[in-house]
Amino acid sequence: MKELVHFDGEALGHARHTVLADLTLGLQDGQRVALLGPSGVGKSTLLATLRERLGQRAAWCPQEHGLVPPLSVYHNIYMGRLEHHSALANLVNLLRPRRDAWRDIQALCAELGLSGLLKRPVVQLSGGQRQRVAIARALYQVRDVFLGDELVASIDPYQARRLLTMIQRQHATCVIALHQRELALTHFDHVWGLRDGQLILDAPAHELTLADLDTLYPDAGSTDTRPEPA
Amino acid sequence: MSDERAPGLLAGNSLNLRLARRSLGLIALCLMVLPFADLAITTHDPWAELGRMLTGLLHPDILATESLPHAIALTIGFALWGTLLGMLLGFPLALLFHRSRLVRAGCAFVRAIHELFWALLLLQVFGLSALTAIAALTIPYAGIFAKVYAEILELTPRAPVDALPEGVGRLSRFVYAELPMVWARLSSYTRYRFECAMRSSVLLGFVGLPTLGFHLESAFREGRYAEAGALLWVFYLMIASLALWGHRRLLPWIALGSLFLLGPWPDIDGALLWRFVSVDLWPKPLLEGNWSGLWQWFGEIPDLLPAIGNTLLLGLMGTAGSLLVALLLWPLASRHFGNRPTRMAGKGVLILMRSTPELMLAFIFLLVLGPSMLPAWLALSLHNGALIAFLVARHADAIVPGSHALPASACYAYELLPRLYGGLLALLFYRAETIIRETALLGMLGIATLGFHIDSSFAYLMFDQAFFLLLVTAGLNIAVDALARRYRPRETADTASERDHPAGEATC
Repeated sequence: MKELVHFDGEALGHARHTVLADLTLGLQDGQRVALLGPSGVGKSTLLATLRERLGQRAAWCPQEHGLVPPLSVYHNIYMGRLEHHSALANLVNLLRPRRDAWRDIQALCAELGLSGLLKRPVVQLSGGQRQRVAIARALYQVRDVFLGDELVASIDPYQARRLLTMIQRQHATCVIALHQRELALTHFDHVWGLRDGQLILDAPAHELTLADLDTLYPDAGSTDTRPEPA
Repeated sequence: MSDERAPGLLAGNSLNLRLARRSLGLIALCLMVLPFADLAITTHDPWAELGRMLTGLLHPDILATESLPHAIALTIGFALWGTLLGMLLGFPLALLFHRSRLVRAGCAFVRAIHELFWALLLLQVFGLSALTAIAALTIPYAGIFAKVYAEILELTPRAPVDALPEGVGRLSRFVYAELPMVWARLSSYTRYRFECAMRSSVLLGFVGLPTLGFHLESAFREGRYAEAGALLWVFYLMIASLALWGHRRLLPWIALGSLFLLGPWPDIDGALLWRFVSVDLWPKPLLEGNWSGLWQWFGEIPDLLPAIGNTLLLGLMGTAGSLLVALLLWPLASRHFGNRPTRMAGKGVLILMRSTPELMLAFIFLLVLGPSMLPAWLALSLHNGALIAFLVARHADAIVPGSHALPASACYAYELLPRLYGGLLALLFYRAETIIRETALLGMLGIATLGFHIDSSFAYLMFDQAFFLLLVTAGLNIAVDALARRYRPRETADTASERDHPAGEATC
């Protein structure tokens, strides 16, 4: 199997602050990876670095969505392929949508349950709808690898499964940060688990149980969720 | 155990104490220089004159003015085209603003000269024409738009740009991921600036352009107060109804329609224009390279230093006065004080005072009190104080007091003012630039600031002197702006307030 990205004992982070130390990790072609770990552990940093390494091969769906609220759903999704058209064509498209792009985006929206919303400004959408617009924009990019950061956080479990299936149908390779441990085992064939700035889990999904995944979360062991006395 | 002594008067290092010391310093400085100001009341019976004016305001005669609709249409037309062209010039400059020192300096210079001074200058070449009026608004507005647009663009959220795929061109990135994010703020500022342009357009009447201000000035000057009252009402109605007729879809049609009224356009004689710019505006000894002659030329400028002194003096008095007026008046329009009728009345008074330009207020006070610094001081303090009070009241309304059922004085002093004071002072310091600009301008009414000498130099066709004084005025303005920037409170007790009123809102 071909390896797309490889980290060999690297430190990831920002200018002065190391988020993940001594990371050794490989992303194989055709691997569907669930990225787990408590909030703030460095999932976004890892994904951003993967995006940087993969360049044009990665479709990108960030945690904060990065949508432009005043623009319509159509234009937000169109932005996924903004670099494929000339500046002039993009300008004209703002005034009068391109027929071909409109058709493609309409079909995409129908699959994602966004039919009839193409002309609506994103600012008027609900949280779940915005999430799906962000996913649609990433799907519209038509790249080899899908990178998603907490894609299905604000979506109900049934829809979350459907969306993951859709994404994986189009992308043989994907890395998606999640909080739902069950989905990690049912919809992915590999799990990366981060805790305390370290990769502590790097295993095929079929070898893991929910209890294994619980070890990633510091509060999961105790039934008492109150903070311990200092 | 350390025994902590109660601090002395105004001692301590908390933010509000530092601000209080700074404000008291400003007021003390103002009191120290006050004896140098000429504050005499020279009219025989000011109250009777004021009474006659109020009678006129209460019994307006709307039919007294000839060609009133034409004057209204011209006022709107000038304002609209001035704003529109200023916007078209200012926007590209805003994109270069943070990259080019030259652009920043140029914008600071054109901003520093008041619209009316530009009108006086342009009048010499283009005569009493629409070109003079529109250019007089367009030139300074281009500088203002460039600065404010640049400030707004700087605050564009980064997330949409970061989410874009690699290799998107600069223009596509701008129109898809940046411009839409700040569009609402850009257009609301532009709308606000149009309101300012309406006021300036009225004022253009004071230099003879046939807008509403022209009729207003002559009616007041000749004591026809019923007519003047009617014109004032028309002016307030025009500003108040802006939301009704100033619709985005309607404005282009109004702009096109007004084109038919703006003519006749002046013939531009290129040679004459070139002569004016290259020869008339400059001192003759300078063009001849005669340095001793230049020294003599400087000596012939009458009262330059007293004029600068008076401008600074009045500017300082106006700033301190605005501070006191704002502190006194903001509760009038705030939901924390009074009842519904008093708030309505308070808001009405504040809006009336902030909608009336300083020059117009000063002109009216001048007729009542006679020529001295007093009418100008009152006008500056009331207009700017009311403007700041209005904005502060809006911020106060967003505050939920921690304790209930406090007496009004305690609520003012303990709950609200400590949270608002930093914002209030920041607004005042932003405003200082405008106050000094207006101070110079008020000279046109006969008060011995720089504007008086600029106006008379133009009247005697001494363009070189007038231009030099304009440069001095601009330099003074830029210096005061830099000073105010230096002492402007950066941190406020209520940090949220800093972001919702960008610099722009306070500069009209």
